Amino acid sequence: MADNILQVENLDIRFRIDRKSEPFRAVKGISFNIPANTTVALVGESGSGKSVSAMAILGLLPENGIVAPESRIVYGGRDLLKAQLPEMQRIRGKDISVIFQEPMTSLNPVFTVGEQIAETLRLHMGLGLRQARARGVELLNEVGIPNPQLRINSYPHEMSGGQQQRVMIAMAIACEPKLLIADEPTTALDVTIQKQILDLIAKLQEQHRMSVLFITHDLGVVGDIADTVVVMQNGVIQEQGSVKAIFEHPQHPYTKALLACRPRLDRRPKRLPVIDDFIKGDGRLHLEERRRGTSSGDPIILEVKDLNKTFFLKEGLFGKRAIPAVKGVSFQLPKGKTLGLVGESGSGKTTVGLTLMRLHDATSGEVLFEGKDLLALTEREMMAYRRRIQIIFQNPYASLNPRMTVGQILVEPMKIHAIGKDERERVDMAFQLLQRVGLSPESFYKYPHEFSGGQRQRIAIARCLTMKPDVLICDESVSALDVSVQAQVLNLLQDLQDEYGLSYIFISHDLAVVKYMSDRVMVMSDGVIVEMADSDEIYRHPREEYTRKLLSSIPKGYELAPQPA
Amino acid sequence: MTAYVIRRVWQMIPTIAGVILLIFILFNWVGGDPAQVLAGKISNPEQIANIRKQLGVDQPYWYQLWVFMQQVFTFDFGRSWSTNEEVSRILLTRVGPTLTIMIPVLLLETTLAVIFAIMVAYVRGTLTDRTIMIVCTVAMSISFLVYIIVFQWLFGFILGWFPVQGWSESFWKNLTTYAPLPIMLAVFVGLAPQLRLYRSFFLDEINQDYVRTARAKGVPEKKVMLKHVLKNAMIPILTNVGISLPGIFVGSFLLEVFFSIPGLGREIITAVNRSDFPVIKAVTVYLAVLTMVINLVVDVLYKYVDPRVSFK
Amino acid sequence: MSAVLTTPQPVARQESPGLWALAWRRLRQDTVGMVSLAVVAFFLAMMLASFTGLIAKDWSKEKGVSYANPSFLAGAENLEARSMATKEAAKAPAVDLSDIDPLAPRYREWEERAAKIAVTETKRAESLPFGGDKWGRDVLQKVIKGSEVSIFVGLCGALIATFIGTFLGAMAGYWGGKVNDFLEWFYNIFTSIPYILLILAFAAVAQATGSFGKGVVSIIVILSLTGWTGIYRLIRAEYIKHGNREYVKAAQAIGATNMSRMFGHILPNVSHVSLVQLSAHVVGFIKAEVILSFLGFGVPVDQVSWGTMLAEAQNELVIGKWWQLVAAGASMAILVTAFSLLTDALRDALDPKLK
Repeated sequence: MADNILQVENLDIRFRIDRKSEPFRAVKGISFNIPANTTVALVGESGSGKSVSAMAILGLLPENGIVAPESRIVYGGRDLLKAQLPEMQRIRGKDISVIFQEPMTSLNPVFTVGEQIAETLRLHMGLGLRQARARGVELLNEVGIPNPQLRINSYPHEMSGGQQQRVMIAMAIACEPKLLIADEPTTALDVTIQKQILDLIAKLQEQHRMSVLFITHDLGVVGDIADTVVVMQNGVIQEQGSVKAIFEHPQHPYTKALLACRPRLDRRPKRLPVIDDFIKGDGRLHLEERRRGTSSGDPIILEVKDLNKTFFLKEGLFGKRAIPAVKGVSFQLPKGKTLGLVGESGSGKTTVGLTLMRLHDATSGEVLFEGKDLLALTEREMMAYRRRIQIIFQNPYASLNPRMTVGQILVEPMKIHAIGKDERERVDMAFQLLQRVGLSPESFYKYPHEFSGGQRQRIAIARCLTMKPDVLICDESVSALDVSVQAQVLNLLQDLQDEYGLSYIFISHDLAVVKYMSDRVMVMSDGVIVEMADSDEIYRHPREEYTRKLLSSIPKGYELAPQPA
Repeated sequence: MTAYVIRRVWQMIPTIAGVILLIFILFNWVGGDPAQVLAGKISNPEQIANIRKQLGVDQPYWYQLWVFMQQVFTFDFGRSWSTNEEVSRILLTRVGPTLTIMIPVLLLETTLAVIFAIMVAYVRGTLTDRTIMIVCTVAMSISFLVYIIVFQWLFGFILGWFPVQGWSESFWKNLTTYAPLPIMLAVFVGLAPQLRLYRSFFLDEINQDYVRTARAKGVPEKKVMLKHVLKNAMIPILTNVGISLPGIFVGSFLLEVFFSIPGLGREIITAVNRSDFPVIKAVTVYLAVLTMVINLVVDVLYKYVDPRVSFK
Repeated sequence: MSAVLTTPQPVARQESPGLWALAWRRLRQDTVGMVSLAVVAFFLAMMLASFTGLIAKDWSKEKGVSYANPSFLAGAENLEARSMATKEAAKAPAVDLSDIDPLAPRYREWEERAAKIAVTETKRAESLPFGGDKWGRDVLQKVIKGSEVSIFVGLCGALIATFIGTFLGAMAGYWGGKVNDFLEWFYNIFTSIPYILLILAFAAVAQATGSFGKGVVSIIVILSLTGWTGIYRLIRAEYIKHGNREYVKAAQAIGATNMSRMFGHILPNVSHVSLVQLSAHVVGFIKAEVILSFLGFGVPVDQVSWGTMLAEAQNELVIGKWWQLVAAGASMAILVTAFSLLTDALRDALDPKLK
């Protein structure tokens, strides 16, 4: 058993909100260890306290954070929580370093990459200017940045997200730390880049023999890279152990739920298990598989022909630069089925959705619904069709008007489309829909800020349902949600499709989710559809290079023994 | 970059045209007949008739506009309606005294404000910080007039350290004898609002992610402020200075009036009192153009301050 | 979609606090904010009382001796008053000219007639509550009456400027395209002229022609026509930001009209910015009015404003008469401080961030 380089004991952290209220208790007395030369994954959903705990190690809590006096963080024989500031500053960046989630904002925009790496070298290792620069070039090379001689003089904004994160890593390992804290380093990155960064961190961990504290919400990632796992929920550690123990014999219902409720690539149960299933029962749902697929005889409800959307930017003296976002996209949506649209950022998938809804003006192409080309209609004619095709956006915190009550949000579309004979009837329908999506009737009178992300998405779904649409576009609708909440919303969407025969266009970057939900899948890259096939087919026999690359980037997770049926 | 400059100059044209139009509408249309305007201010009827002819008052408006535009582009606004001095000469001779006061004011105010703002931002949230902010708020609520009256009385009249009023021909004498009191006054009064503003810039930067990264690297707090935060905060600070640059040409007209400094600001006040339209029109149009030019220069210099800026 | 759902039992309506209710709650907890609010309310009440004639009605009456001392300095020397009195007394000639004066016989007749008409001969007061000015007018009453002008100009001007700025900003930010281009051009014209110069240019025309109305109205017109630019910039940026937010796109998706989106959806999310700007502009306009009145471009001679008081005070300080300066200066300082602190408190209440 390796020695522990860091020991967290009874860590209790509260946040002062304002002068009157009780401080909010974010971390409630947790304890865990980080052995030498080990990767420890600290896993939890939003609000679990995982980031806060990690920040406390280096004393990087925000100004209103209070650590309880009985908490201890032991490193090298001393309690870091009681250390004086100069001592902490010696440790930061040298013995223990951090990389953050958003590399773009975590790097100083007015200094070059070289200057920022050099700063830590000169501070802790006493290197001179030229030496630090040379070492910087070496480090950039080690983290896989091409042309390091040139790139050392770049500014952060001149680099891509993935490269920026590599720079952060270079800065972090520059002084050969014993512990690297990685706070959700890949969450903001595309899935292909994510894999590269994870591989890089794993390689560096081995080569430099350092420990890594990896904070994430994604159990798939954890399975790939961690040695031990600590599972947190609401400021408490629910379970911890070796990765094998956690994945093969999870004890706590929450852990079991986390493991089970992510859609998997090899199975497709009729319903995704949610946390409640594990708390009330043992989580074994004994569900049959759901068959998905399309056949040529399916009635088509929506057909898109040669859709193009180009954005124009002003450039030069009088010129305009054309940025084609969607190039010649064509597909058919069978009635009652789900068409998945998968791609990374910049692929144009969201633009397709917005253009279908005429929230963007298409440059050319046709969208045929019941024989009529929606793109050719006037705004007035379009009104009649607006209620037939609806959209659920990605950001639950921005898609509901903060100044309207839920009731107002639900009644507004009914008023516009003259649904229901009077106010009384509309309000009744709103109450029914709230119940249908699993929210309490009191929600009618509340404001969006009083709800969680998952609940807000339900409200957004209810808003769409008020108009009884035929087609629903889900634009990354579950991407911003925690895994357990995601499962609930996906179940809801599926129930609604089963019950009302809705047709979905499901847009996402998450391949596992897309495969679970879709009958047919389109892969998009750089504005074009690269491949399109039934979902089982595309995962088993991907034909295009890009599709294969995407599939191989999905974290495999721990090699799981087959789950008991 | 040349393409950028050319494009900007091209874009200035409609704005300049608009300014000319606005001034024309204001002074020629709303302002109306000089005979009525100057009634009671100038007793010589021949002079008034002359002025009317020059302006082309009896001609249709488009002719008057054409006359005005000619004036703008030939830098000849004619003569002052009250002193009959050439307007261009008036402007040129008055700019000197104004700048003698305002340039030192700008430099001192900005430097002091930045220094104090860093210090206050460093101790943010403490009693010192809050007290200083309240003091600034109160200081800003006292009218500039009160400050001038009190300062003149205290330093000029009671203590006798500086002359209460006056100006001379010699630049050096101005700078050392007549200018210090007004400069001191302007800096004293202008410090409070600048301090508040710059403090907010610093606080905005302190809350950014890159500051957390710097701390995570073990950079000492002072260095975080003076190296990381300062360089980023200089961007909005320089924007602010750039915006105030055109204003120094108008100067603080109140100071010039109280201290009898023959500057551009006082000239404008006098012109307003005497309804001396040519002077006001000229100053307005030229300062508008000057503002646009200064803005362009500042924007170009931006590239050296903020690496994210690129010219398209 | 046909689904049989049970209609849930009607729920007791519980009012959930919206933005304004929450902001009010936060404001109530802010002591500094509440005190400022009270001070501002006091000034407003004072202004109304003065406007309706309840107080300060006879501010222009020359009740006191010249430069009457304030009550707390009642016994002090007042050289000016005495020299004024001796001057008045000296008006009447000491020589008796009745034998060569053709009107001499009639004097007695006139005196008797005058005595019959009741003319209240008020004795001039030696001291007034906060002193008197050169003509013996009550400084305290002048200050109260003067607040009327300043507050009225500040409020009205700020309201109009905020309205113009918000409306134009909404148009430019929401519609973009040619509307935005035109409004930006318009904005550029106004902002390329230094602010003070712009005000003075308008003042010059106002003064010369009276086309902007007279007195107080002209100041309001000048300030509001020149002061809308800052608000325009902010509101336009807000509209651009919100226009890209998903809740507005959602509104478009459900078929809400442009008017509905602009004023029904976005405006409630942006109005708090306007409110804070309104408050800030009241402060700026009060200060501007004082300076304009001081320079003589503001209120006419028969009205009193803090600016005119300061103009008079300019020469009084050297002869040691400080009360008008302090009265006007302090009242203005108190009101402006209170309003500034109120603006800050409003901003914090409506948009709280961790300090």
